[in-house]
Parts: sequence; C-alpha cells; structure tokens
Amino acid sequence: MIRYVVRRLALAVPTLAGIVVLVFLLLHLAPGSPVSALGAESGRRVSGRAAEQMRRLYGLDRPLPERFGKWVGRVVRFDLGESFSDHRPVAQRIREALPYTLTLNGLALLLTLAIAIPLGVEAGGHPESAFDRASGAALFALYSTPSFWAALLLQTLFSVKLGWLPLYGVASDPEPAGLAGLADRAAHLALPVVCLTYGSLAFYARLVRAGVAEARGADYVLAARARGLSRRQALWKHAFRNALLPLITLLGLVLPGLLSGSVIIERIFAWPGLGRLYFDSILSRDYPVILALSLVGAVATLTVTLAADIAYALADPRVRDGTAP
Amino acid sequence: MSGQDVSRTGRFWRRLPGSGRVALVLVAGLWIVAALSPAASRAASEIRLDERLLPPSSSHLFGTDDLGRDLFARVVAATPISLAIGVTAAAVSLLVGFAVGGLSGYLGGIVDLILSRIVEVVLCFPVLFLLLALAAFLPPSPATIILAIGLTTWPGDARYARAEILKAKSLDYARAARAAGASTPRILVRHLLPNALAPLLVSAAFGVAWAILAEAALSFLGVGLPAPATSWGGILSAAPAYIEEAWWMALFPGLALFLTVSAYNLLAEGLRRASTG
Repeated sequence: MIRYVVRRLALAVPTLAGIVVLVFLLLHLAPGSPVSALGAESGRRVSGRAAEQMRRLYGLDRPLPERFGKWVGRVVRFDLGESFSDHRPVAQRIREALPYTLTLNGLALLLTLAIAIPLGVEAGGHPESAFDRASGAALFALYSTPSFWAALLLQTLFSVKLGWLPLYGVASDPEPAGLAGLADRAAHLALPVVCLTYGSLAFYARLVRAGVAEARGADYVLAARARGLSRRQALWKHAFRNALLPLITLLGLVLPGLLSGSVIIERIFAWPGLGRLYFDSILSRDYPVILALSLVGAVATLTVTLAADIAYALADPRVRDGTAP
Repeated sequence: MSGQDVSRTGRFWRRLPGSGRVALVLVAGLWIVAALSPAASRAASEIRLDERLLPPSSSHLFGTDDLGRDLFARVVAATPISLAIGVTAAAVSLLVGFAVGGLSGYLGGIVDLILSRIVEVVLCFPVLFLLLALAAFLPPSPATIILAIGLTTWPGDARYARAEILKAKSLDYARAARAAGASTPRILVRHLLPNALAPLLVSAAFGVAWAILAEAALSFLGVGLPAPATSWGGILSAAPAYIEEAWWMALFPGLALFLTVSAYNLLAEGLRRASTG
C-alpha cells in the first residue's frame, strides 16, 4: 500500500509543476507582457497604471528565466498578492466568496446524488425496461439543455409569472429574522441549486446505471439471489456497492465542472461566490485574482483526485497490486 | 464504385438507431436553414423602435426584441454562425486531441507518460476559467473564439483517442501487421487509422454539440463574438434585462440552441451504438 501511495504521489509532482507552468503562461496574456502588444490594438486596453503594477508584481520586464523564478517563488510562499480592484489580499477575497460557492455546490451535489443513485440503480437493474428507456430519454434532454437557458426559463416561470421565488440574490433586503429568514435564504437558493443539479444528474445517473447493469449478472449477485435475497436487496447491497467504487475516482474531476457551472449560474443569480468573483475579475482585468483562482482551482482538483485514487486503492487491493481488471 | 458507396451508405443507415436517424435529419435541416439564412439577414438587423418588445404574433412569429428587431429573423440569421463556430472549434479540438492521444497510446513508454501528464494538467482546470481568460484577453475575433474552445477541450478527445488506440493495438490485425514486419507509420496509417474512424466520428459529433454550447456561453456572458456577428448565445445575452416583460427573448433563441445541441448529441450517441454493434 505504501508503495502505491508513494508511486501515486510521485506521479502528481510533475502534474503540480505543470499546473504552475500553465498559470504562468496565462499570466502572459496580461498587459505589460509580450503578448499584450496584440491586445493593445483590440480596444481592450488596461490603464498604464495597471500595466505598471503588473510589471512590478510579476517582473514582466525581466528575462524569461527570472520571470519564472519570481513566479515560482511567490507560489511556494503561498503569496497570492493583492487584488487590483480593492487592494485587499486575494486570499481574503477568496475566503469571503468560498462559503457561498460551497453552500450552492454542496447542496447541488447532494441533490444530484440523491436523485441519480436510485435512478441509476433502478434503470441499471432492469436494462431496456420501460423505466430505463424513459429515464434515459429524460436525462438526455436535460443533458442537452444549456444551464443559462434553463435558468432564464425557471426565473420567468417561478419568479415573474408565479411570483413564488425571488429572481436573484442571497437574501431579501431587509432580511427577515428567525425562521422566516431561514425560509427566505432557502427560497433564494432553490433556483440556482436546481440549475446546477439537473446538468450533472445525467452524468452520474448514467455512470451508476452502467455499473449496476454490468454487475447485475456477476456471480456474487447471482449467489446473493441464490441465498434467498430479494432482487431489490441483491441490487442495492451487492451490485450497487461494487458499482459505487469506480465512482470514487471520478470525484476529483467533479470539481472543475462545478466551478465552471458556478461561473454562469452565480452570474445569472447574482450569487457572490467564486464563479462570480472569477468572472468579475476577468471583466475588470484583476490579474492577481484570476491567476490565484485558476491556481487554487487546479491544485484543489489535483488534491481531491489524489485522495480519491488513494481511497480507491485502500478499498480495492487489486488497484494497488496493479492487477485491477 | 458508386454502387459500392450506395450500399455502404445504406448499411450505415440501417445500423443507425431510430433516434440517430431523426438526429441526422434534424442536423441536415439545420444546415439547410443556415444555407437559406441570408434571406433573413435584412429583417434581422432592421431596427424599429415603434415595434419593440412585441409578443409572438402572426407577423412576428417569435416576437420582437428590445430594438424592435424580428426575433425569428435574428434566430435564423444566427444559425450559420453558431454552426460554423461549433464545427471548426470541434475540428481544432479533434485534431490536437487525436494527435496527442494517438501518439500517446501508440508509442507508449516515456512519450505516453509525458503526454498523459500534460492532458492531466489541463483537465485539472475548470474549462470555463481557461475559456474566459483566452476569450477575454486575446483580440476579439471569431478565430480567437474557435481557438479558445478548441485549445481548452482537446484533453477529453486525447483521452478518448488514447484508449481507442490502446484497444486497437492489442487486436490481432495490428499484431499480425507488426509480425509481418510493417513499420510504425504504416501500421498507424493503414491499419489503426481506418479503425479509429468510428470513434473519430463519434467524438466529432459530441464535440460540435459541446463547442456550440461553449460559444453560446461565452457570447451569453458577453465575451464571445464581437459585434455585429450574432450567435444564439449573443441574442440570449439581452434576455436577462427584459426577463420581467419579454419571456420570448429567452425562450426562442435558447430553443434553437437546445434543438441543435440535442441533435448533435443524439447523432453522436447513435453513431456510437451503430459502431459498437
């Protein structure tokens, strides 16, 4: 096991280095860099002051090796710099936005799993049944629906026509006290959570379905049936549990998808999370925030992927022996 | 020669599931609309402030927008733009992805290790983060949007291509060609490439659906195509400001987007099933 962990960690080192290099390349899209000469004619110019700040901060007027050295030096000291727009530390701005994104995406992820797992087990337990076909078609339609379109339609229906839910925002102003305040927050969460949930639903439900459909014919499921377990018990206790394992390793790759989705949904619903922060920073050319969020997002994804792989190896000895099917 | 082609087409059609056939017809219909769209371009740009925000009626099928332009004409006029960006961006992504993934899978060893790390690095980033940075910071033009989408989505294609090549490499015909003394390029071009055609088509169709969505998202967020070129996402970007009075501004451009993305996804799914059995 220790050998597997060491090998896996060793493989992550070049990936981490690659992430740092890629963000460094991203920096060269910024003003004051050689590439920005292109942007100068485009009318998307940034003030001379900002360009001067960039040069000082990242040493953009220095030769390439020195520039790269300076960048790596900042990264290893976790020095994310300060925001151009309000001169507060970038780390602080990220800390402020993080809880909003975590609430939104955490709820969306829970809701996704709560629907996708029973749906996938039921459909995978009876492949090609009427339920399997109907749920497959519905998921396919949801998968092809752009989230920003769905958001606009849901706003039109539930906020404008029916008046049941607020159009956007985190809470009403002034915010009601006590239990009413909680209900108010929940009402504001409803539409964005639904929008973030429906798209990933198809992805998870299909994975669970495929795993269960494959496992249902396996010997251990047949053996469980032979021991007198009901069809339902055999599916849930045996087929689903084994189908669940490979899902763990996909957990890391969920993160970039969630952050991407957050950019659009947080913008439409005026939700002050990380996606909104990133988009606002793009519009205002707040490079320290842009670079920091890209770096933090990618490193977080790498970390979760790593943890998921190690958890998988703990659960399944065949993975760490390299004898996995 | 042509007789053989007909029978091939016929065989392909028979193997395609019903939903795939519907999708193929839909896609063909979309391209016909795109070809005829110049007829709508005048009406699409005609500003009539006395007719602003009119609901759908017999004279304005999809209603009018905030400048009194006919929404039906605007949606039709945007069709070739959305389709063309989708197809070219998907082509860039496929080209890079299949080259990287194919080499990685075929050569293996240290090349595979390095290329796979690069793919992993790009996959760690939220796609929209990279996409927004590229689209916003490079000079605004259709080429920028196409490159931005292509250069951020190829890792998925690379992973797929690598897996397909690994699968094909272990099959008997490739082993037989190698045993017979065929060179690496010859095996790649004569034996593996023809067999990679089906996965290539499947990725292409999924890729077009994704690229159309990505372009729409960028234009919706306001960092897509520069004016006056307008895609469906660009038309939709005006909808939030009028959400309380003009639902049709959100419904119809989005519907066109949804139909197109569904058609390409459905086609991809059909092709996948037709090629695997």
